[in-house]
Amino acid sequence: MADRRRINAPSGGTSAPIFASTVVKNPKFLQSLRPTRTRQPDQLRKIFLKTGLTPSASGSAYLEIPLLLPTTAQSLIPSRSSLKLTCAVHGPKPLPRSAPFSPHLLLTTTVKFAPFAARARRGYIRDSSERDLGVHLETALRGVVIGERWPKSGVDVIVTVIEGEEDGWWGDDITAGANKGGGWGLMSVLAGCITVASAAIADAGIDCVDLVTGGVAAIVRNPDAKGKGRDDGNGEDSYTVLDPCPAEHQEIIATCVVGYLAGRDEITELWVKGEPGATTEKLVDRAVHAASATATVLREVVKEAVELKYRDVIGGLNGGLKASTFSSEVEMAG
Amino acid sequence: MGHQRVKALDYDDDLDSDDDYFEEGEGDGEFLLKLFTPTQKNMRQGTIEVKAALDDSISISDKEIEEALWHYFYDITKSVTYLKNKHAPMPTKVAAQKKSKQVSRFDRAANSAMNTQVQNASGTVSPYPIPQKPSLEHAIISAAEFFKDVPWLKVPPHRRGDIIIEPLYPRGGLLGGSSKPSKLAALAAARKKKLESEKNSFAAAAAVDAAEQPTDKVVSLLDRLNIKGQGKQDVAANVTKNEISSASVLPIPTLRKYPARRKRSSSPRPAETREDKPASVPASDNLIEILDLRAPPSTFAATMIGAHRPEPRAQSPEGSMFSLYANRPEVANANPFSGPSPDDIVMNAQAKGNKSKKGPLKQPNGGKTPSNLADSVSSLTVEEAPKVKSKNLNVLEEFEKSNMKRMANFVVIGHVDHGKSTLMGRLLYDLKVVDQRSVDKLRKEAENIGKSSFALAWVMDQTSEERSRGITVDIATNYFETEKTRFTILDAPGHRDFIPNMIAGASQADFAVLVIDASGNSFESGLKGQTKEHALLVRSMGVQRLVIAVNKMDTVEWSQARFNEISQQMTAFLVAASFSPKNLAFIPCAGLTGENVIKPPLEKVIPGNWYSGPTLVEALDASEPAKRALSLPLRLTISDVFRGGVIHPISISGRLDAGSLQIGDSVLAMPSGETATIKSVEIEGMPADWAVAGQIATLHLADIDPIHLRLGDIICTPSAPIKNVKSFTAKILAFEHVVPMSVDVYRGRMNAPARVSRLVAVLNKHSGEVEKKRPRIVQPGAVARIVVELEREMPLEVGTRVVFRADGNTIAAGLLEIS
Repeated sequence: MADRRRINAPSGGTSAPIFASTVVKNPKFLQSLRPTRTRQPDQLRKIFLKTGLTPSASGSAYLEIPLLLPTTAQSLIPSRSSLKLTCAVHGPKPLPRSAPFSPHLLLTTTVKFAPFAARARRGYIRDSSERDLGVHLETALRGVVIGERWPKSGVDVIVTVIEGEEDGWWGDDITAGANKGGGWGLMSVLAGCITVASAAIADAGIDCVDLVTGGVAAIVRNPDAKGKGRDDGNGEDSYTVLDPCPAEHQEIIATCVVGYLAGRDEITELWVKGEPGATTEKLVDRAVHAASATATVLREVVKEAVELKYRDVIGGLNGGLKASTFSSEVEMAG
Repeated sequence: MGHQRVKALDYDDDLDSDDDYFEEGEGDGEFLLKLFTPTQKNMRQGTIEVKAALDDSISISDKEIEEALWHYFYDITKSVTYLKNKHAPMPTKVAAQKKSKQVSRFDRAANSAMNTQVQNASGTVSPYPIPQKPSLEHAIISAAEFFKDVPWLKVPPHRRGDIIIEPLYPRGGLLGGSSKPSKLAALAAARKKKLESEKNSFAAAAAVDAAEQPTDKVVSLLDRLNIKGQGKQDVAANVTKNEISSASVLPIPTLRKYPARRKRSSSPRPAETREDKPASVPASDNLIEILDLRAPPSTFAATMIGAHRPEPRAQSPEGSMFSLYANRPEVANANPFSGPSPDDIVMNAQAKGNKSKKGPLKQPNGGKTPSNLADSVSSLTVEEAPKVKSKNLNVLEEFEKSNMKRMANFVVIGHVDHGKSTLMGRLLYDLKVVDQRSVDKLRKEAENIGKSSFALAWVMDQTSEERSRGITVDIATNYFETEKTRFTILDAPGHRDFIPNMIAGASQADFAVLVIDASGNSFESGLKGQTKEHALLVRSMGVQRLVIAVNKMDTVEWSQARFNEISQQMTAFLVAASFSPKNLAFIPCAGLTGENVIKPPLEKVIPGNWYSGPTLVEALDASEPAKRALSLPLRLTISDVFRGGVIHPISISGRLDAGSLQIGDSVLAMPSGETATIKSVEIEGMPADWAVAGQIATLHLADIDPIHLRLGDIICTPSAPIKNVKSFTAKILAFEHVVPMSVDVYRGRMNAPARVSRLVAVLNKHSGEVEKKRPRIVQPGAVARIVVELEREMPLEVGTRVVFRADGNTIAAGLLEIS
């Protein structure tokens, strides 16, 4: 149903306009703006993660993959998107009286893109891809939360995508039309959703068997970057990368997302898109590697948050050690 | 007491109230215990058994055991489990479990640690860690930095207070929402807290042990717990080893706060992270080398978490809005707020434009620029109330100078269907006021509904109702001009239902054109009907001169006999109605065919060519113009109120009965008594500066609400206003029998219900002398003086002509004598 309650913005893009001169007059210039992957194929982008940002929520987290590369300043449109996700966990809270009895915790996951999250503007009502992501996220989290400890209660996990991953480079969109779509960006978003939801659940203090993290791997093919990566035997010049940024690859053959419990070596969620062929298993393995790499960040962050929260106790334990070093600062804090 | 306390409690204090009940229960238990002495034996025995069952290490008082026994009704095993559970949160349980497999040193250390903690718990510090709202590491701002730009006004140092800036609370982050957790969440937090403290003390104990045996497997356990970073842990272990070896007591938890978190060095720590990587990563031929994956927050994230701004980088990250221009010197040095803002520029320009336009209107300080604020304010008020400036004309002189053509308003009266509108349509058509095309159009439309003869009448009758019914309903106004005079036609309805409209029209007229159908029975029926009534009415309204157009002569083959017959009968009647015979003119004509309207009829049309008199237009031209009551105070009867568009929100039109007016005059509307200003004047559709009596003018008014203006209201000058009266004496000419009765009083368009309260006298028709005082009845045709009381006030003055009607008939017409 059309959204009639709000004054919707004009349909169209959310980013700066592309001037015709860029496209028509000088295609070479346009190609020169194309971003390339500068990291190693098995190197992930750096992640910023922080818990406890939303005071009204029981637990919350913010995840970002910031752009750390210097800008070329030749175009107003960022060549790559930087993923920004926030997650709020509400609960565990008692189920409404009308709800039937549930012997375990009812998990509700919602993934919503902000209207301005991508270059193509989104509506306020969740569309099918957002609902799909929500279901995938629920699959990833359901096995992690120890639901038996919370009968008759529910928990809402709400992920808002402030900035999503694009499905490709904007230059390809305007030259090749809209056939580049493919939804590759959704995979990175889902991996981010899993990680950020996990951090938020940990912040909310909901019992979990382990910290689940998301990881993505992709088989990509760059025609003009022959022999740059390792040949995985799938094609003449295709190779596997971890944490793919769809804008950096001209062609993506397959992508895999996993929700992975690093401590238990268990996969809670697996989503493969594309045609990986015989290399499916390898692709999943690579995704698991990406997830376990992400887990290092998640652990550190959760640990730091706990340290901050219970610093009284920890300070007590280590007081003898640190009192002398930080005595002046302690006095300042009052 | 319990009830009252519970009532006073808030819902949030549910847990407390539970405690209250529990305590109460305990008290009851003790009381009961004392009461039933036979059970004391059981109790004593049970206590001993429980003590034996329990560990020595756990020091539990007899009283506690007794309580437990009482609660479980002397069930030893249950009591023991309960007591063990009760002390389970303490590390004792762990210790107890450990004891079976581990040697005593660890135990001792753990016990002592526990004991210190318990001791502290009895003191000030809670045994459970209270989670503090974590505050940001950067939240502590030094006072000096915070107030560095505040001048301290030379306050002597000893008087300066120490300012402590509280850390931001809640720490920066997203706003909104309630920070109060739900009940279940609170429970979860409590459980978590408990668990955490357990872990902490356990970790502490383990740390002690680890100090002794670094290679112990406890270390691996500790590693998994991950309370502290690995490196820190080692140091901690080393330090505690030194301390504990001597004192064998853990550092006492003090009230001192944990210092601000050390800044994390951004340098990668590959060794650490590699160790963090779980060993259970699936074996693969190429192990990933995991670098430090933690990124610093972007500008966006930094804003959100309230961290310090990141160090300005040589090249800001892609996607930053200002990155493109930030490095350019002209941007960096620009001061965008030095000049006036674009809004200011536009507003200044507009103000200038207004000033130049409104300059001449601003009289008091038009030329000079206001020097101070008061002046400018006063000038502002002048602008706000757009006073229309009067040209201060001497209207009478202007009127003399203008040498204006004679003007005449005439009303066309007569019985229904005698051809008033058609005759006027023919007149206008032949005078080329209405062009051929529109008449053709009207003719076609009229043929469409089978009334082709109405085409000319439709020139005057323009509303759909009038056209479909084929009669005139309301006064229609039109203008034409001859060589000598400018005429205003007031086409009155002939139907008896619309007499009030006819009165309204007649009240504006200088003279009247009485249209009479010459054919068959029409003349006779008219004489009984509205021909007579109209004639009497216009006479009583003060019309002296009458042009009688004997219409439809073509239907009687221009019979001279018929014309003479009509002339004689009408003359007799009209003279009886006190018209002067010299003011009557009889013109034979045919409105439909147009003979003798503006041009004399052709010879072949008139058999014998008997008529050689003037045409209708010539007769109209010959009429003496009415004397204009120019010197009298202004009186204007509103005949129409309308909205003349955006520029003129309220406009009126009507005939000036007396006096003159000009643009800028202030006028008074009666009976509402509201004043208005004349913004502009239109006469016959042309803008004018002034208007004089006799003209029908359109006035565009300002400063008045339309609700104060109604049809028939009088516009007068405030200096000589017309008065609202409730009762008056009038000299009347009766058309019907007049007795004390209810009547409607008409004055132009205005009418009001009234009552004839008294018949004063019957007067002589010619001399005006009193013939009979206090008559019971006034016969038709008689002149009488009566007193009328109005039900609501009407603006009337001496000399006003009024008409009395009752039950749809005109019963009398009169002249106001005393109001």
